[in-house]
Amino acid sequence: MKTPLIPFVTFALASQFCHAQLILERVTPESLAKIRQESHVATAPSENVPENQIARPTEQSIIRDSTILNDGKNWTIIPRGAIVYLPEALKAKTTGKPVGTLLPFIDFVSRNPSWITTNEVTFDQAAGNEALPPTKIAFWAKQDKLVIAVHLRGPISVQIPKTIPALSKK
Amino acid sequence: MKRILTLLALASSSSFGQVGYVNFVRQSQQSTSVVWDMPVAPKGAAPSALLIEENGALFQLWTIEQNGGRDFLLDQKLVGAYLPAAAITITTLDPNGAVRRTRIDKPFTVNVNISRLLSGTGLPLAATQVLLQQYVAPYPAGSFTLNPTTVISGTPASARSITSNGIDSRAYAPAVRPLAPTTDITKGLGEEHFVVHALSDGTFSQTQLASASVQVWPVASGEIQGIIPNKTYGMDLPIPTIVLKDLYPRSDTYLLLFEGTGTSGPSVIVKPYPVDRAETDSTTIVVPELLSKATKEGSYTLALVSDTVYGRELLGPAISFTMKGSIRVNAMQMTFSDGATP
Repeated sequence: MKTPLIPFVTFALASQFCHAQLILERVTPESLAKIRQESHVATAPSENVPENQIARPTEQSIIRDSTILNDGKNWTIIPRGAIVYLPEALKAKTTGKPVGTLLPFIDFVSRNPSWITTNEVTFDQAAGNEALPPTKIAFWAKQDKLVIAVHLRGPISVQIPKTIPALSKK
Repeated sequence: MKRILTLLALASSSSFGQVGYVNFVRQSQQSTSVVWDMPVAPKGAAPSALLIEENGALFQLWTIEQNGGRDFLLDQKLVGAYLPAAAITITTLDPNGAVRRTRIDKPFTVNVNISRLLSGTGLPLAATQVLLQQYVAPYPAGSFTLNPTTVISGTPASARSITSNGIDSRAYAPAVRPLAPTTDITKGLGEEHFVVHALSDGTFSQTQLASASVQVWPVASGEIQGIIPNKTYGMDLPIPTIVLKDLYPRSDTYLLLFEGTGTSGPSVIVKPYPVDRAETDSTTIVVPELLSKATKEGSYTLALVSDTVYGRELLGPAISFTMKGSIRVNAMQMTFSDGATP
């Protein structure tokens, strides 16, 4: 005896039924080449440009161009020159490798208050136009924390004035 | 003079805007060499708190893997009081995705908005023109990530000068080539980066005023295996396999069954395959469901189609075949008949 065609099949077919819909042909390498040839979109031959006046980034690395701070578990980066006082005992924490978990600078500092402190500096001080206050420098030498120069909470490199500082006109 | 830093949009790449990365915005003063890391929120814009010197300041958006230690330069801009200013936007036919994207056969438009260029005689070249460069790079095998620095440190695919202020719009045909040994130009995939440079007299360490990029994905293709075209089947209808290659991000692919020998009428979905990811996808699927769809005598056509923002497209040749006899199916049992009484 033949098994009757049961309604389930009809239902299943109906539930996955697609109305007629325009189906586009797939573009072929030949048709794509023809489209490109006939269109006016730029395939852009180079003009004569003053290439020697372009300064391109080469192989850059923000990690390589930074000082790495590492507490043994986490690490962060600061611009080179941002450490304005480094006790001898903490040197090992500034020559570390990027091992562990990277933290934003502010988070790293807040987790390591026992050995890091920050000192707000002005732009003129960072640029070397204005000397850092001698009283502060003297104070740092009397404590045992690493001191990082910051500007508006962000670490900033500080240049030591080579000559008598000339104040900016700001 | 302070300048609002709206130029570096954080999380500018889908790969890098996710948990597991830490972003840094570094400002490097070109005259004094002062380097400052701006405190940044995961998204948004902030004013630069440093003075912009006469020679400008370079703003760089970096992201670093939190546990891998690899760094990626996502974007950078040179901003200065006496430098031309530039912004680039790329428009494509695909409005979706966190990263601008298109397909190898779909043109896109690059809009460059230039301001503060000067015109007149005797002016230095740097004040009267900027340079727009196009860089093209394929994705490495098995990866959908490129380091922007690496891409734009090579030789540009094209370059031209822009000498007037205002919006400069130009349509481009994607130029990414397929990864060797493939030579099919419909399979090109990678990225195209556009950079506007200021011209330098040697005082800038970098001259990038603006940049933007677009992902280019290949045209999907597919193949139905196991069903021989134009063959007549009875009880021996084989279970087909579908091979799907390079399905477009956020697309829906179907194996459809049409009654008759064409693909213009209504159809039945034999197998759906949605792609809900930001990259292309390839897979192979065995489709036993066909046996419960082609149940009547007559001719049928199988077609692999994919629905994308560009419409519904065939992935490969449709295959027609004929069923002689019938297959009857219920929920638990399948009974075949070739017309003879069992």
